[in-house]
Amino acid sequence: MVDLDHKGWRIFASPLVGFLLLFLGFPILIDLVYSLSRVSFTNLRSPEIVGFGNYGEVLGDAQFWRASWFSLRFGVITAILECVLGLGLAVFLSPLIEKRSWLMAPLMLPLMVAPAMIGLMYRLVLHEFVGPVPYYLYLWFGDSPSFLNAENAFWTLVVVETLQWTPFALLLFYTAYRAIPNDVREASAIDGASARQILTAIELPLMRPTLIFTFFIRFIDGFRVFDNVYTLTGSGPGGSTTSLPIYIYEAFFKQGAIGKAIAASVILFLASFVGLYALTWLSRRGKGAAS
Amino acid sequence: MIKLARWIVYAVAALALNFPVIVTLLTSFKSGKEISVNPGFWISSPTLENYATVLQVSDRLNIFAYLFNSLAASLIGTVLAMIITFPAAYAIARGRYGRKVLMPLIVNLRAVPLIIFAIPLYMMFQFAGLLDTQLGLGLILTIVNLPLSLIVFVNAIAEVPIEIDEAAKLDGMSKWGIMKGMMLPVCRPALATVFIFGFITAWNEFLFGLMLTSNRAVPMTVGASFFFAASGGGIQWGAASAVMIVGALPPMLIGIIMYRQISGSMTAGAVKG
Repeated sequence: MVDLDHKGWRIFASPLVGFLLLFLGFPILIDLVYSLSRVSFTNLRSPEIVGFGNYGEVLGDAQFWRASWFSLRFGVITAILECVLGLGLAVFLSPLIEKRSWLMAPLMLPLMVAPAMIGLMYRLVLHEFVGPVPYYLYLWFGDSPSFLNAENAFWTLVVVETLQWTPFALLLFYTAYRAIPNDVREASAIDGASARQILTAIELPLMRPTLIFTFFIRFIDGFRVFDNVYTLTGSGPGGSTTSLPIYIYEAFFKQGAIGKAIAASVILFLASFVGLYALTWLSRRGKGAAS
Repeated sequence: MIKLARWIVYAVAALALNFPVIVTLLTSFKSGKEISVNPGFWISSPTLENYATVLQVSDRLNIFAYLFNSLAASLIGTVLAMIITFPAAYAIARGRYGRKVLMPLIVNLRAVPLIIFAIPLYMMFQFAGLLDTQLGLGLILTIVNLPLSLIVFVNAIAEVPIEIDEAAKLDGMSKWGIMKGMMLPVCRPALATVFIFGFITAWNEFLFGLMLTSNRAVPMTVGASFFFAASGGGIQWGAASAVMIVGALPPMLIGIIMYRQISGSMTAGAVKG
């Protein structure tokens, strides 16, 4: 029997609710007020309401749109690469890992390292004088691209992000793959289905919820990327690797453009709110159609 | 044949995924002189001098302070998140409390770019004197840990047979008593999972450490990046590598030892998220 004593339960949730109001609710309120104000580090506590000027400034800033485009492209590309690689590895390596589960530990190790540290480590890995990658490229091919210039930095970062987070996709896909009951596979094998047919017609459809969820999580994390980009390239040569969070960070700390930074935060908040709402709606509709 | 192919793919994947860590580890055992002439994958004369340099407190680098700041802030950020989400999870799992608003709100928090809260939090912290303190950073790390903590606890409590609650209620126990006396002990594995995973997440956090600390409370991730930025005349790669290895070691060790719990908690978020 479920206890529906609503008032009694409220006390249990109240520490969490209080914490949320203080550390997330109040900041959003400040965001909204300050985004409409003229504010600098000198009148931080007495902002002067001026209307939508900050939003106009952000929306008219070419760098803001570049940053949005960077985040979107980065999120989509890394999420696709991570899911494809993770799925391939999960299915192909599953017979090995099934028998020796410790084999998973080395593959998961990158997930334990701070993305900021990984970014720093690649400064060493890709360094033209002391980094092994340029060293071996020179040794074997006589030439090495400059990985961090305006042209290549985006794709270098895509590789860095993908290599660190493919294990996440691999882990989730492996778990989902192992969760498919073996008799399902055996039954279709008896019916004469080939391994490939079993994969595409039975296993992948069964793994669909996990595939979608993982893609979504990886897209979100790629979209809001900050740590490894910041430590490896910063905003990049000519601002070429400015993600939205880096745009906001630089507007606030480097330019002192508080109003602009906060207006950009609110826009990002609204965008993620709309995105999440649309996604929840879509997944509800999908479930409704399925049942 | 196919089995050999699987092993080869496994080895290549394990090397490629861990490539930056392997390179950094190798470099950390090379002398400064060797690094400049030998960037390759072997070490001709292994040395511990980089670690000796790094573990010595100097004006430029006090790695123990960074490590301690990370430890303190991560502990606050993990334990506080557990303390406030466990009772809420109990209300959600047993009373269907907050299923429409509270639970979705927190789950979606996982997907919101937290930088949108960063500037107001910076102002609040400045006002409250929490800038550049371990407590301040710990409070923020609590926010980061809320979603996973709540999801894992709700799942864990939902799996406990409700007959336990009912029997205890007949014995005259209050809800509070049931939660403390019965749920907490039963959910010990979930508590351990959240603690481990939350600690690693908190330790590896960078953005808020960068924004909200500057000197006294700088965590390891930010301290390591200072080390790169501050060296004007070129980076000492040997010492830099040693700093990165020392800073990355605690979560990696916990991760290797506890990888089963961690994979469990990641998939928990996936299945019910």
